[in-house]
Amino acid sequence: MAITPPPARRRKRRMDKVMPLVMMPVNWLEERSGLVGGLKYFLFRKVPSDINWFHTLGSATLTAFIVQAVTGVILAMYYKPHPDTAYESIRYITNEATLGWLVRGMHRWGASVFIILIFLHMARVFLFGAYKYPRELNWIVGVMLLPLAMLEGFTGYLLPWDQTAYWATVVGINLNGTGPVVGPFLAQFLRGGDEIGTDTLTRFYAMHMLLLPGAIMGLIGLHLYLVIRLGVSSPPWSKDAAGSEREERPSGDPGLVRPRARGRVAK
Amino acid sequence: MSRRLQEGRAQHQRYKEDVEKRGKSFYPYAMFHDTVMSLVVVAVIVALACIWYLTAEVNEDGSSGSGALGVLYEDKADPGTTSFIPRPDWYFYFLFYLLRIFKWPDSVILGTVGIPTIALILLLALPFIDLRRERRLVRRPVAVVAVILTALSMGVLTYKGAVAEEGSEATGLVPEWIERFSIPPGDASEGAEIFSVSGCLNCHQYAGEGVPNLGAPELTEEGNKNRGVQWQIDHLECPSCVTPGSPMPPYEDLGQDNLRKLAAFLEASKGEAAGGEAAG
Ligand code: HEC
Ligand code: HEM
Repeated sequence: MAITPPPARRRKRRMDKVMPLVMMPVNWLEERSGLVGGLKYFLFRKVPSDINWFHTLGSATLTAFIVQAVTGVILAMYYKPHPDTAYESIRYITNEATLGWLVRGMHRWGASVFIILIFLHMARVFLFGAYKYPRELNWIVGVMLLPLAMLEGFTGYLLPWDQTAYWATVVGINLNGTGPVVGPFLAQFLRGGDEIGTDTLTRFYAMHMLLLPGAIMGLIGLHLYLVIRLGVSSPPWSKDAAGSEREERPSGDPGLVRPRARGRVAK
Repeated sequence: MSRRLQEGRAQHQRYKEDVEKRGKSFYPYAMFHDTVMSLVVVAVIVALACIWYLTAEVNEDGSSGSGALGVLYEDKADPGTTSFIPRPDWYFYFLFYLLRIFKWPDSVILGTVGIPTIALILLLALPFIDLRRERRLVRRPVAVVAVILTALSMGVLTYKGAVAEEGSEATGLVPEWIERFSIPPGDASEGAEIFSVSGCLNCHQYAGEGVPNLGAPELTEEGNKNRGVQWQIDHLECPSCVTPGSPMPPYEDLGQDNLRKLAAFLEASKGEAAGGEAAG
């Protein structure tokens, strides 16, 4: 390697000047919030060495949800939730607004991708036996996310206010009405009256863009907190699975006495 | 403290030590995989959106033709049309199709509320049902069979829901019905005509025609229930007022005249054996 010391030294001198400028706001933030340390912990925490592509299904689901959130906000800027205007605004978004078709298409198909990924992620967790102690609670949080995601699909389906939207919702709400005891009340509540109309649309809209996403975001937050706190499990077939029993572990294993947590939390 | 819990704790302790000692750092290793996967997800979504939009044509009048992934939008919602086929989004097909297996009124609740609730409860309870520490699939035959059965049945139900034929308009069959079931001329025969074009066959079967949906009863012998014309009209106007919890949509938009004819037709439908006698 041809080393040319002078420029390197000059670069170092420049770095010495720049770094404090970069670090100042970072340190400022860290001192007042601890967020930087938290982020470092998140990024540099250890995960089992044998995790594989199956473990990416969770973050793939998260990505699909983020796509829904972002495209949803953009759609909400143009969508007008009233039986007289909803359909027209959907057509405007699709045919006229710049790249509106792309945003609407991503939202529409992203919903399907999101649902598929949730099921795949759930299947991987199930097959890995990752719902067992100490991850029971995280499994339960996950199970709660599942119907919420499907409800997002149900409430979103009405919003274009076209024929399929309308009639599928008529039947969907009526089916809710078949439930015992609470069924009729639920149907009445969803409709916001005796007939599907303005109140139904605004109700579905409020649920679709405020109530359900809020609940989903809260639960995802809890879900990820638990993932980080408990760690993801190794694949069960791994010969080297973290936590598996190994005979050659004498009680005084020197490996157990090692320096604690190298560079985990920057303090 | 149970032995199982003790084992679990010891194992998790080992897990933490192993990860600390031999694990790798989330960034960049796991993060790299996650990022690649996320990009794939976004790319797939964008691709679907493009295929959907670019293959569908928008007609002169602003309506949308059907592309590789269906139309961009249907016609505007019209509570007055009745021949429209209600179809949920595909991930509800399995529930929708499940309802064909159950019949109104006894077991529909099983399909709408029962099975989904049981499934959710089972899922929630899973970590407390399966308490063994064993995670290897070869040692968890029940779990493997359960996954395969669930995936298969949901797959089959979704597929069946997707390809399910839709009750077509059956105008051509009206003369045959009139002949075969001795439907009297006048209101009842005109009612048969209305019946055949009003989407009733999307849920009901009549003489083998139509598709059974939502557990709706077969109507070939509806007249034998002797409900009476007024009852039929009331039911058609607002099914759930007459039969609490009925998922059948209200048909008052058809207008009194048509409803009277429909009711006459239904009352005259007494199947082959009893055909004709009490009609009128
Ligand atoms: C979305 C599905 C659906 C459509 C479309 C539909 N029905 Fe129904 N219908 C049902 C269900 C479910 C029931 C059972 C519950 C009830 O009795 O209301 C039913 C019940 C009935 C009954 C039996 C009432 C009794 O208890 O004797 C009659 C008659 C009937 N429908 C007529 C019609 C006619 C006529 C049409 C078309 C104008 C029609 N239905 C369209 C779902 C539907
Ligand atoms: C909005 C939907 C969801 C999101 C965004 C999400 C996200 C994630 C992420 C990022 C992980 C860590 C990486 C991985 O294991 O894939 C994870 C793990 C986990 N998820 Fe989910 N998840 C969702 C739904 C579910 C559902 C429906 C279940 C089960 C019913 C579930 C159960 C679990 C469990 C038990 C873990 C821990 C896995 C382990 O330790 O190996 N999640 N989730």
